[in-house]
Formats: sequence, structure tokens, C-alpha cells
Amino acid sequence: MSVKVRFFARFRELLGTDIIINPGEAQVLKELVKGIALRNKEGYQAIFDENGGFREFVILMQNGKRVETTEADTIVVKDGDEIAVFPPVAGG
Amino acid sequence: MIAIQKDDIDIGALIVSAKKRGTGAIVVFDGIVRDDDIREIELEAYEEVAVPELEKIATEAKKTYNLLSVDIVHRIGRLSIGENILIIVVSAGHRQQAYEGSRFIIEAIKAGVPIWKKELCRDGDRWVPGEHPHGSGSGKKKDF
Repeated sequence: MSVKVRFFARFRELLGTDIIINPGEAQVLKELVKGIALRNKEGYQAIFDENGGFREFVILMQNGKRVETTEADTIVVKDGDEIAVFPPVAGG
Repeated sequence: MIAIQKDDIDIGALIVSAKKRGTGAIVVFDGIVRDDDIREIELEAYEEVAVPELEKIATEAKKTYNLLSVDIVHRIGRLSIGENILIIVVSAGHRQQAYEGSRFIIEAIKAGVPIWKKELCRDGDRWVPGEHPHGSGSGKKKDF
């Protein structure tokens, strides 16, 4: 099973992007992102709070569709998924 | 034309092509890199999601404000002070529809399209904080 994780803006600078992961069966979205974020302390702290939950401003997408961070510990990733993690948008 | 691109765009040509039959007003919004004591800005987008989002916003604006045409071109990459960032050209039968439609589009882009900008300053760089009720996630100013 292969999943691509894309970080954007500040998160990309801290953690990289287009990271291919081969998660085990029944891997949930939150743990998948956490596993990558733990590679860089500053990156982890940018995305997760002191209790290990997503910071409230973090935006998650699964295959281009918004996913609530509060549900990320119940959503199981699937083969071929593209997961995006980013801070609030600031275009225009 | 709905696009995210590095290159600048000929605004005059967009205006000409926006003059559809029945046009009584065209409104052009041109967002420009402001001199806020910066050197340049750098823009980044999640293009695979941002382009469909822009298309959705254009469709909604056309329907809601009876616009005859909508063009949205958002630039990415590194831009200098005075360069165009975002061009929105809308045409409508009447000025009120054109003004309101244009305003709707820019506010919708700022609220939800995955694009970010970073200010490159003489003393460091900083991500422009996005709008969010619970914080920005922009981080502290970082030195080069």
C-alpha cells in the first residue's frame, strides 16, 4: 500500500513534501501524519499541540477533499490516497 | 480563463475578450505586490485543488451576479514589488453586478483557495498569516 503526503507553505519547509509512505493495514490518518511530523521537532510542534492533537488551524485533505482534523483518528488511509496538510490559506 | 501560472498576463486582452454581447460594465481587480518594506514575495499553491476551486467560485459568481464572463489568473512563484499577483476581470450588463461579482470572487479566494504567500524581507522572511478563527499557523519570523 502506498500513500502520498503533501505539506504546503511553512509545513513544507519544515517537513518536506510529496512523501511516499507505505503504511500498514488500518493506519489512521492522524497517526500517518504524526509519524512523518515526528521526524522534525519544529515541524511536529507546528502541526500538533502539546496533547498530541492537531492544532486548530491545521487543514487536512484526503484526495482533494477537506477532512475534519477531529475525525482524523478514525479515518483509515487507502492505497493510492493523497493526503495534504497545510496552514490557513493566504492567497489573493 | 481560469489559471494559476508563473507568467504575467495581458490584462488588456482579457478586457477585450470580456466584452460579450450585452456587456455594460467590466470590472478589473488587480492585486499587486505592495511595498511593505519587503524585497519580494513568493507564492505557492496546491494547484490540483486550487484551480477547481477557482472554477467553482467563477461559476457561482456568474450565476449569483448574472456575470457574462469571468477571468481569474493567480500568479505563483517569486514576484517583485509592483508586479501583478491576482487579476480578476468580470463583465456584466450593469455596474452593480460587475462590482459585486468581482468583490465576491476576491473574498472567496482569500477565504478558501489553497494558496500561500511568503514575504521576503531584508531582515528575514515570514509567511503571511491566513485568516482562521483559531490562529494563523504562520510561525514566528525566521532569519535567513
